[in-house]
Amino acid sequence: MQNNTNSRDRENNHHSSSSHPHVMNMREKEKYIETFNFPYCDLTTKYEKVTKIGQGTFGEVFKARDKSNPKKFVAMKKVLMDNEKEGFPITALREIRILQLLKHENVVNLIEICRTQASQHNRYRSTFYLVFDFCEHDLAGLLSNVNVKFSLGEIKKVVQQLLNGLYYIHSNKILHRDMKAANVLITKNGVLKLADFGLARAFSTNKNGMPNRFTNRVVTLWYRPPELLLGERNYGPPVDLWGAGCIMAEMWTRSPIMQGNSEQQQLTLISQLCGSITPKVWPGVENLELYKKMELPQNQKRKVKERLTPYLKDPYACDLLDKLLVLDPSKRADSDTALNHDFFWTDPMPCDLGKMLANHTQSMFEFLAPPRRVTQMRHHSIPRPTTSAVQDSGYQDRVF
Amino acid sequence: MPGWYFDKKELRITPSAQDGIDYKTEMRYRKEGARLIINTGSKMDLGYNTMATGVVYYHRFYMFHSFKQFPRYVTACCCLFLAGKVEETPKKCKDIIKTARSLLTDQKFATFGEDPKEEVMTLERILLQTIKFDLQVEHPYQYLLKYAKCLKGDKFFQTKLQKMVQMAWTFVNDSLCTTLALQWEPEIIAVALMYLAGKLSKFEVVDWIGRTPKHLRWWDMFVEDVTMDLLEDICHQVLDLYSQTDSSSPDSPPSQTPKTGPTRPATTPVKSSNGQERSPDQPPPVSIKVPPSTDIPQFPYQTFTSGPPPMGAYTAAVSAPPPFSTTGPPPVVSAPPPHLTAPPPNLNGPPPTASVPPAVFPYVSHPPPLFSAAAAVATGAPIVQPGPPPPFYPPTQQPPPRPYYGGPPSTS
Repeated sequence: MQNNTNSRDRENNHHSSSSHPHVMNMREKEKYIETFNFPYCDLTTKYEKVTKIGQGTFGEVFKARDKSNPKKFVAMKKVLMDNEKEGFPITALREIRILQLLKHENVVNLIEICRTQASQHNRYRSTFYLVFDFCEHDLAGLLSNVNVKFSLGEIKKVVQQLLNGLYYIHSNKILHRDMKAANVLITKNGVLKLADFGLARAFSTNKNGMPNRFTNRVVTLWYRPPELLLGERNYGPPVDLWGAGCIMAEMWTRSPIMQGNSEQQQLTLISQLCGSITPKVWPGVENLELYKKMELPQNQKRKVKERLTPYLKDPYACDLLDKLLVLDPSKRADSDTALNHDFFWTDPMPCDLGKMLANHTQSMFEFLAPPRRVTQMRHHSIPRPTTSAVQDSGYQDRVF
Repeated sequence: MPGWYFDKKELRITPSAQDGIDYKTEMRYRKEGARLIINTGSKMDLGYNTMATGVVYYHRFYMFHSFKQFPRYVTACCCLFLAGKVEETPKKCKDIIKTARSLLTDQKFATFGEDPKEEVMTLERILLQTIKFDLQVEHPYQYLLKYAKCLKGDKFFQTKLQKMVQMAWTFVNDSLCTTLALQWEPEIIAVALMYLAGKLSKFEVVDWIGRTPKHLRWWDMFVEDVTMDLLEDICHQVLDLYSQTDSSSPDSPPSQTPKTGPTRPATTPVKSSNGQERSPDQPPPVSIKVPPSTDIPQFPYQTFTSGPPPMGAYTAAVSAPPPFSTTGPPPVVSAPPPHLTAPPPNLNGPPPTASVPPAVFPYVSHPPPLFSAAAAVATGAPIVQPGPPPPFYPPTQQPPPRPYYGGPPSTS
């Protein structure tokens, strides 16, 4: 007991001595920030920038070399936050959280997040970089290079890996929401990686009867599915499968199949390919917010197979595309169904891309490639659209 | 790979300890910061996950920095700000600061400096680097619900289970004010606090879904190698909260100019509505019965906030459903705020089996844990097997803190 009292006294003494603790002034705080060695967040100086491989409103992407292992390359994506009123962007937080969760062969691997040294020059505010395993190519870059020729087996391998990646992320309740060829990376060994989760988010099947209210201002216009264009806010994995269908077709057409320059025109192009959007083929579509506000071409026949056959001779490929480019999201094939399609299980079977890619020693990225041929000449002058997401501004519009 | 779990020895050599802040004071600073996060979050209708995530960031932050270097209330606001974004319930920085300000004395708010928002923004980068961008944090709540779904019992079982889970939920809330989240995985905390709630509400688990002969206790199904000693230790860390008095230790940076008389603690005891202060040797009349709902608004216990919670919140809570009514959608009072329509992403596989998360921050419809605990002690219930009686009698000066009240997020 006596002991206890003593220790109590000691504590009290201590309290009184620490009751006027020293609080850092601005100068000391700056010094502290400058010199504190964050054990879990390395400095970017461990990498050496090699070249810029992407640029968008979100900032830049660099290829860099790991100084401790010169054979190891990484991609460094800058988190731009100069114009952020609310601190570290919520979109970047989402991307980081999602990438930390997703660990799969067909999803880009986030190695770490690095910081620049805080100093007087940056007002003691570090800049952050997301550091990824480096992938040599993106699909948009490969497709824009006429010297890159995919065999049917190789195309099957690409699409299979794409669907495999989607299957994995959807199983983890993540929507990508920005499927496009430029966001599909391919390593020199032919391994496909879904990239750019800057617009991705977690979803849940609304079990308590409460519909989701996600923003529909996602997905680059050319890859945006009809439900988003019509204002659906309670959407799910099918939005990514529409994009997968567009990308799959692009493997043969070599350029995006529907290059609208406005939401309205995109819907027109979709109707011209997939047939008129009517409650008959898509029960419930009449309840979508923009159904009555948009001009929907009537009496259009579905011509998916007809218009794509000149490009893809393979009937299985046509059939799978026909099941992916379905207007009604509830009838669109999911990734599991698509992976079971005969397309992947008939000769020629999917085959490794490594050999073909070994012929190409130069990295191919959309950012580095000359502008791709625009199939519909009337939109000649329009630049490639980028993802428009009002609420996600500042961290989008990426080419990776 | 850093671990986010520390043993008790490590918790005593924190940067604050090395900076000359004694253990007890550090624990108080942790508690006060956690409370500010919870109170600010509750006032802003943030969900329990957001608040809990913020508190975990807060505790982790101070494993690398000292309370002397970073004043706790600024850090608390910063943690809540970041957690809001991470849990998809973002709030504007200036609103968080405004709300926090309304809960703090001017002296305490002075730590925010001349430009509070700038202060929080600068700190956010430091926070992110410190926590290794490990944004995803799991909490015991989901496990509580999951485990509760597996328990089976007699005909009074459902009522008792509900009461037990509500009590355990409150303990989880309060555990945020301890360093438990730095010591044990959320699964283990959930088991321990359900065990505690079970003891206090005389809830005996005789059978459970998925039982095999190997299982001695229900939790053997979910966690391995959890000894009774460990469970007791966790329970005690929470129960110790109820025996602490806040006025005993000094204030922290920046210290105020001494005033006449004792400093008013941040948590002013709310005088019991019937005008009686409880004395320690006369434990309150304890009944395990749920008090009639008309009594609830006149909550006689000390709250964590400096004033009584708004009446509206109570009435809403009274009509609120039990935390896990599995039948039908939770009867949310009005259109739920966005964070309810988009449940926090459960990033680790399928959502918890308890499919309906509590529509409201569970309301404590049972006597607050302290009194039950005191009752258990009084009646000789074996909460602690060996050793002296546990130190959770009501403190001498003031009534014990009531577990903080989280108003239903859906009203107001």
